[in-house]
Amino acid sequence: MTISPATREELAALVRSANERHSPVSAPDLTRLNRVLEHTPEDMTVTVEAGCQFDELQKQLAQRGQWLPLDPPVADDLTIANLIARNPSGPRRFGFGTVRDHLIGLQVVLADGRLVRNGGKVVKNVAGFDLLKLFVGAEHSLGFVVEATFKLLPRPESECFVRARCESLDDARQVIDNVLESPLTPSVLDLHNDPLHGGRFSVVIGFSGSYAEVDWQLGRATQLGFGEAAALDYEQRFWESGADSPRRCSVAPAALVERLRTLDGAAFIARAGNGTIYFHGDATLPQPALPSALIQRVKSTFDPNGILPPPPSA
Amino acid sequence: MTPHDEQPVTPEVIRALRDIVGADGVITGDDELLVYECDAYTLEKHLPGVVVLPRTTAEVAAVVKLCAQHHLPIIPRGAGTSLSGTVLAVTGGVMIAVTRMNRVLDIDFRNRRALVEAGCVNAWVTNAVKHRGLFYAPDPSSQSACTIGGNIGTNSGGPHTLKYGVTTNHVLGYELVLPDGEIVWLGSRPDEGEEVDGYDLRGAAIGSEGMFGIVTRVLLRLIRAPQAFKTLLGVFDSVDQASQAVSDIIGAGIVPGALEMMDQLITQAVEAAYHFGFPLDAGAVLIVELDGLAAGLDAQAERVVEICRENGAREVRIAKDEQERADLWKSRKRAFGAIGRLSPNFITQDGVVPRSKLPEMMRFIGECSRKYELRIPNVFHAGDGNLHPLILYDERDADQIRRALAASDDILGKCVELGGSVTGEHGIGAEKIDFMARQFSVDDLDAMRMLRRVFDPEGRSNPHKMFPGSKRCGDFAPKKQAGA
Repeated sequence: MTISPATREELAALVRSANERHSPVSAPDLTRLNRVLEHTPEDMTVTVEAGCQFDELQKQLAQRGQWLPLDPPVADDLTIANLIARNPSGPRRFGFGTVRDHLIGLQVVLADGRLVRNGGKVVKNVAGFDLLKLFVGAEHSLGFVVEATFKLLPRPESECFVRARCESLDDARQVIDNVLESPLTPSVLDLHNDPLHGGRFSVVIGFSGSYAEVDWQLGRATQLGFGEAAALDYEQRFWESGADSPRRCSVAPAALVERLRTLDGAAFIARAGNGTIYFHGDATLPQPALPSALIQRVKSTFDPNGILPPPPSA
Repeated sequence: MTPHDEQPVTPEVIRALRDIVGADGVITGDDELLVYECDAYTLEKHLPGVVVLPRTTAEVAAVVKLCAQHHLPIIPRGAGTSLSGTVLAVTGGVMIAVTRMNRVLDIDFRNRRALVEAGCVNAWVTNAVKHRGLFYAPDPSSQSACTIGGNIGTNSGGPHTLKYGVTTNHVLGYELVLPDGEIVWLGSRPDEGEEVDGYDLRGAAIGSEGMFGIVTRVLLRLIRAPQAFKTLLGVFDSVDQASQAVSDIIGAGIVPGALEMMDQLITQAVEAAYHFGFPLDAGAVLIVELDGLAAGLDAQAERVVEICRENGAREVRIAKDEQERADLWKSRKRAFGAIGRLSPNFITQDGVVPRSKLPEMMRFIGECSRKYELRIPNVFHAGDGNLHPLILYDERDADQIRRALAASDDILGKCVELGGSVTGEHGIGAEKIDFMARQFSVDDLDAMRMLRRVFDPEGRSNPHKMFPGSKRCGDFAPKKQAGA
């Protein structure tokens, strides 16, 4: 049964009681905790209840010319709680980073029902340990986030995307290298296989900034073979295709093309600047070593009775 | 078990340490240990039982294991430039200084990464890669001395954090020797991707002030250096005007690389020392540095000039070339040095308030200055709301010391009241332990202690820091302090 608390205190009490009974609880429905609590544009920060929809937050921020510069691939029905728990990232992560780069404070219900805060509302703050990072991507396994504070950015004046088509992965690698060696500062650098656009592979780059910056970069990009206007619509097509949700693997950016060759022609999108690949299919991947004893110790310290969802699996 | 009492380092331990790192890597004489009795926070001092200077991760791990067997505290140390007593050996113990592990091990230009040893000096990283148009972004003012390992300990910032973020945003992964001697790698490994499954222990341990073990090797993210800079200096009649200009610049959608402010007292001190031609009655000087692609930078600079003038700037200077830019920065970077002309001693504070509360906070600092009859010049990172009030006093006057500490207390208390923090970049260390309970609830602090138990169940790594109830050192020996 999913609980649907009206207040954070109610959630805290429910979790406390579940913990006393050693009874498992799943992530709560936070529909009723969905307010944007405080947006101070001159501080470039926002504090929001975790049940707020990501899209709704962006809409409100946009009215004051700002945004949380994250572009999760599937943003419909994505709450702030799940944004933090799942740590999704989209094409703009090359330019803007991921959730952990923008989260500056949170309040969370721990497994024993205590409401605790970490971080704060200011953009620079080193008081105490950084527990924020633990909760990003933890899939609700260490506690339930009820409130979050993010630092924001002004919405870019202009954003443009352009495409270079490549017949082979080797061609794509050359195009990517050319971009990285150029003075361009793209916010997006994606490689994907793209039967719809006639080429086997496409490299898409995007620029975000003032009109002058974006226009100058578009000119340089044309010289590098990015002759075709593009949009990020390939993202949505990719995430909506396939029976199962895409898998992820991560390599050093220079090893991207070698890894892509091992995917046996599966549909993929690669964040070429970061080395992150999303793909459909069942290719076997090497598993990097993890400090698993420490990870277990985190879980057993924060949730000794194991009532919260399991930790993110490798 | 927390080692609250002085732990003697026995001759047997000293011998074993020499076996591990060699005789030249073990410091025991009181005169030599003096170097290690404090960091740049000099109000408290304590001699470590012994200082060890290992050269490899294996040596660090062996030393740490030995300390675990003998239940000795371990105190990690880099260059000792920290400003909050983070590396004080409060109950003695074994100080492990990583200064001999200072190499840049590998630079991977294609992947924009550098692998360095923990004792590598911050500025060396950028020096090693700038010829290829890259840099390592976090640039604390002590960057020509402070180490990357120390930067991880305090999650160091610098003047450019508004746009570029702090240490945690630029560290991909690192090797950590846990307090039981186990060697783990947190975050991304060299030659692997940046996504790491499981919890972000890398991020959780950055800023842990040496309480989770000893960092030995670090994988850093390098980023493309800006193509161009535009550095402006605005002279205002009041801090309020300059603060409003800061808010308006941000409001116009401009995110400068740096946004620094100096108030009247600092401006006068800088002018007296270096003759930059600042009007002595100027209430505040604002330094704005725009960086990025050259395209559009001029237009942005013009907009900043307009905003400054709209807010009553009586003068706006724009650096025409690299030399003029360096000169403008000199006025900011030499500010701390100029204070030496005003006062024999000063406390450097490190509070943070939301940017919009800067005028209110600055007025409060003015009130404190009058209340305690002490001068408090301010030079700070206005873009981040990170203040560095310099509370001037004379250590020969006990009453001045008392008033300086009281003013410091009032100012940090006000930062918390305004929704800010008692430290933006210097850390809690030994200095600000008492403020933790004012900024956080008992449960908030307990959640932090839970994380500590994960890494250091015995509480032996850098004990007596950060948390209320930690043992305090009674010695009171104020001395001149380094700047921020």
